[in-house]
Amino acid sequence: MSDALLEIEDYSGAFVGETGELTPVLHGVSYRLKTGMMTAVVGESGSGKSLVALSILGIQPPAFERSSGRMLFRGSDLLELDERAMQGIRGAEISMVFQDARAALNPVFTVGRQLADVWQLQHGGSRRAAMTQAIEALRRVSIPEPERRALQYPHQFSGGMAQRAMIAMASLICEPSLLILDEPTTGLDVTIQSDIMELIVELSRTRGLTTCLITHDLGVVAETCQEVVVMNAGRVVETGSAEAIFTRPSDGYTQRLLSASQLVEAA
Amino acid sequence: MTDAKPAKRAPVRRRRPRSYWALRIGIGLLVFYVAVALLSFVWTPYDALTPGVGDGYDAPSWAFPLGTDRLGADMLSRLMVGARYDLGIAFTAVAIALTIGTIIGVLAGYHGGALDTAVMRGVEIFQAFPGLLFAMLVVQAVGAGIVNVILVLSFVGIPDYLRLARAEIRAKKDWQYAEAARLTGNLPWRVAFRHLLPNSVGPLLAFTSINAAFAALVTASLGFLGLGLGPNVPEWGNMIARGQDGVMTGEWWVSFFPGLAILGLTGGLYLMGDALADLTDPRRRR
Repeated sequence: MSDALLEIEDYSGAFVGETGELTPVLHGVSYRLKTGMMTAVVGESGSGKSLVALSILGIQPPAFERSSGRMLFRGSDLLELDERAMQGIRGAEISMVFQDARAALNPVFTVGRQLADVWQLQHGGSRRAAMTQAIEALRRVSIPEPERRALQYPHQFSGGMAQRAMIAMASLICEPSLLILDEPTTGLDVTIQSDIMELIVELSRTRGLTTCLITHDLGVVAETCQEVVVMNAGRVVETGSAEAIFTRPSDGYTQRLLSASQLVEAA
Repeated sequence: MTDAKPAKRAPVRRRRPRSYWALRIGIGLLVFYVAVALLSFVWTPYDALTPGVGDGYDAPSWAFPLGTDRLGADMLSRLMVGARYDLGIAFTAVAIALTIGTIIGVLAGYHGGALDTAVMRGVEIFQAFPGLLFAMLVVQAVGAGIVNVILVLSFVGIPDYLRLARAEIRAKKDWQYAEAARLTGNLPWRVAFRHLLPNSVGPLLAFTSINAAFAALVTASLGFLGLGLGPNVPEWGNMIARGQDGVMTGEWWVSFFPGLAILGLTGGLYLMGDALADLTDPRRRR
């Protein structure tokens, strides 16, 4: 055993077209998420970074077909688990925050009720206790007036507030060991972006969460992550500590990515 | 959706005044009908089943506000008792159809695949027959009686609810909140019934209301055709049929008032269904 919570080994696959033709999209993707660390998976749109993350939870699009690979989570291969066993992993062990939080919340239930539902599902207990936990979680992610906010519907939340609520659900209510964030700040105002990232960093530090941040925003990565995985066109082109990647990028694509983001002087 | 609090609360503006009015009228009519049906258990002006309380074909008067029928039974009393039959049959049938149709529809829609295909082909074959015709044939075959009429009506209604629930669930099962619900460890049936189905309550309720109007019409139609219930049961369709002769000779009230009762009931249900479609969506609620 190593200190990796999740090890992805040689994950490859293709999209199957309607006529059965294969479009390979992932080529031997391998990376590890080290326990207690925040790992960024960066790359441009279409590089396959989200697809790999969805595969971790077994919710890749149905048209995607895996041709090889393993995903070792605590020593067992997630890709070999049956639906029932996966059900126990989702939420309880691995949870996920999506890009569009308002779409991920059910429009007909209050936000508090949704958090309470998940709490009851994961931990049992009474309705009242679950609601208390939900309000506490909302308070913890700095949502003002959590008692009142808990009774509101998702459409009454701003994008940033909804994302906070989702983060509360994924991290505080589910209490997973691995939290995957799929572009959590894309589409939010810049000031709110940094607030949300601060919150994520703070939560994962205090809770000892292993975090996987999928993003194309290198600025965010530089400030928050310890490990970086760079993906391009379905391949992992470079992995390493954030420091190493930002100061001594070895791969040509990483260098271009860095100079395009204007974070560092092209040295 | 700002957090700024205006010093004074802005006057409440109704964005959909027509829906509200339609809903009010619809609910008002429905409450009236239910009240009349309930009242008929404790009080009617005369006994509804006793002929000869007046002469035959008495015109509306103070003693008999809606006249009497050919045998001299009080029309108002008969209409009141009729509300029990028409409302009771229609609503029970609709409740059964809604429950069974929704459950099967949600399962088929969420599960998809072979189950879905099998269910939908079955529904299509079944729906190839017109509902009223099917109801008539079956009632003729299995025999009359309230229970049979209710079962046949609910059976005729199931495919509509099934299709609607299936379509609703299919459209929503790949939405992100369904994904999110699965990701937090919900089992599939819980995602389907607890998370997705409540999103479809609006369309289902709206349709239920409109379908109840259809069920009431079919109930009356069966009665009019002399199928289902005994000839002396004061069911409205039955009463219209019995008053037909009078229309020719000028005794219009014997058919007219039961017809009006059916019109009011179906109209109210339609209005309510229409308004519900607009108002049950929380995003459109104020």
